[in-house]
Amino acid sequence: MFKYLFAKNEDIPAGAAAVFFGFSAIVWFIVGTGLGSFNAAKLAFPDFIYGVEMLAFGHMRQVHVLAVILGWISMAFAMAMMYITPALGNTKLWSEKLGVWNCFLWNVGLALGLFLLWMGVTSGREYSDLPWFIDLVVIFGVLFPLGLNVWMTIKTRRTQGIYTTNWFFGAATFMVMIVFLVGNSPEFFSLTGLTEAYLTWWFAHNVLGLWITPVAAAISYYIVPKVTGNPLYSHRIGHLHFWSVVVFYSTPAAHHLMSAPLPEWLKSFASVEGVLILVPAIAFVSNLLLTMTGKWKMFVENVEIKFTISGVLMAIPLNMQGGFQQTRAINWYIHGTGWIVAHAHLALLGFSTFLEAAAVYYGLQTLLRRKLYSLALANFHFWMLLIGFTTYWISMTIAGLIQGAGKIYEVPYIDVVIAEHPYMIARWVGGTMVFLGNCVWLFNMWKTARAGTVIPAGRLPHELAYER
Amino acid sequence: MAWKLDNPLHTMTSEDQNQKAVELWEAESLGGITEDNNRLPQPVLGLLVLTIITAFLITFPLWGQRPHAAMYEEYIQLMDSPEVKDLPDDKAMQFIVDKVKASNSKWSALQERHPLEMDDLRMIKDQVVELQKQGARLDEYTIVGNKVVIANFEGNFIDDKGTTRRERVQPWWDKGYTIDIVFILVFCVAVMIAVKRLPPFTFKPDHGKHH
Repeated sequence: MFKYLFAKNEDIPAGAAAVFFGFSAIVWFIVGTGLGSFNAAKLAFPDFIYGVEMLAFGHMRQVHVLAVILGWISMAFAMAMMYITPALGNTKLWSEKLGVWNCFLWNVGLALGLFLLWMGVTSGREYSDLPWFIDLVVIFGVLFPLGLNVWMTIKTRRTQGIYTTNWFFGAATFMVMIVFLVGNSPEFFSLTGLTEAYLTWWFAHNVLGLWITPVAAAISYYIVPKVTGNPLYSHRIGHLHFWSVVVFYSTPAAHHLMSAPLPEWLKSFASVEGVLILVPAIAFVSNLLLTMTGKWKMFVENVEIKFTISGVLMAIPLNMQGGFQQTRAINWYIHGTGWIVAHAHLALLGFSTFLEAAAVYYGLQTLLRRKLYSLALANFHFWMLLIGFTTYWISMTIAGLIQGAGKIYEVPYIDVVIAEHPYMIARWVGGTMVFLGNCVWLFNMWKTARAGTVIPAGRLPHELAYER
Repeated sequence: MAWKLDNPLHTMTSEDQNQKAVELWEAESLGGITEDNNRLPQPVLGLLVLTIITAFLITFPLWGQRPHAAMYEEYIQLMDSPEVKDLPDDKAMQFIVDKVKASNSKWSALQERHPLEMDDLRMIKDQVVELQKQGARLDEYTIVGNKVVIANFEGNFIDDKGTTRRERVQPWWDKGYTIDIVFILVFCVAVMIAVKRLPPFTFKPDHGKHH
């Protein structure tokens, strides 16, 4: 990477930035899930590394969350944007050099931000934990250069139309900057009280709603037609999906605070909009599953489709759960419990991670012109992720129901801790499986870069048979 | 970008514009990806309509109604009755619940949803009695733990003994829902226009014409 930082743009090979982002994303995924496994171990076994302040749960939790969101997920998005945006416009990335610098500064900035969080320098607000000066670095040093590259690549495309994926990429890179600017305003302007609470959750909601969910969906709009060779089922449903994300996903932030003394009309409004998140979800899932018509055997045989369709299918429970858990009656029971933690992992470790993994698998093979080193290891990675995540999700959902019952019926706290203990162990097992699977993934992709079968010019990776 | 509004459910674009779109659609390859022009399948359309209806039905405050002081007014009146005074707490509470239920209280459904014990009643009794003495509307006061506090709902302005103030009763319908309806209507109209400006769904692109 370093030799390209000061090279001329035309001397940097096409796809270099995407490859750097791809490998960075995998490394951050290992860091993030490793920290997750460590934190889960502390909840499952309270005596595990006890008494070391810097390794206390309070120091480590937010490092795990932001390593995953800004490291793994967002860098995988950047990787996808760096190769998919130009591909869909039949052109090159607007500035490969900007992309390489973007990747370099992103890694440095994130490492610095996470180090500060680990040291306890934090805003203290969940999801927007980073201190304000790091927020500014994220907005102007990370997100703006990424957006600029995406927008200019779309602008300089050599097609007349813009494919659905690029609508989402172009819009999401703009919207996420607004989310960071407005969502962090409590810290920029020292806002307190309900305003701070509302904006904190406006940020947290929209990082999911206007960044993670639409970009992950946009990736699958590329991967499924590209790999199956089928046309996207419906351009029209793409419109429905895109505009319903903008209208219905951006508005329900207040449903995270259903028990707070916010104006009741705002909660009513947000709660209806929260159920209506099912509108983009239904449009998205139906469009992608109908695109698979006649190619369902690839769900078993092809690793990118396996990851993508698993992610698409997870959008169904994710949005059903999300839509209903935020209604007054249900939220009263499960608010503040492990149920919410399970739901957050269904969104980030389930739905979106599977879609991003597909983008990284496909992108690295295409850009490196190397066939995947080992299908067996990729399948191992898939099942470690799927079984590990499912174990996590089910155990935390059950733990959440136990905690909810304990909360409502005023069961002594220690009794709740004892009752949920087996599920905390299961959570740790599931999370550790994901971590180990990711280590295998890094090895597989490293070997792919070094020893994967060379893909001849004009061919796509999935058109070649595996050699191992 | 000529508009054609004589048959808006078919297309809102003139024939020549549609023809140009069709030619581009069939000739252009977006990074090797092509698109079909299928309409939303009708069962999926039905699911979307069901989702919108469900969104309103399931989010009414009715399903998350908070306990207010008026719900327990009849309970508190019965606490000092001779039948109750001589009973142990659990039987006394059961007697009160049965008696109020038999009287067809207007709060029966909420009372069932928010059951109390005698100790709970004792904690709020004096506060409720005090409010009664002041002539307050008890359904404007919420029970929060062992406290009876003015509810944080802000309804319409009402006239109260010559002064104007906000009504504090939890609403079953408020302006939040009205805004939702406006959002949904605007969204439906905007998306209808977006898709009806495309060639009609009867056009099936021929993907063999790509470069």
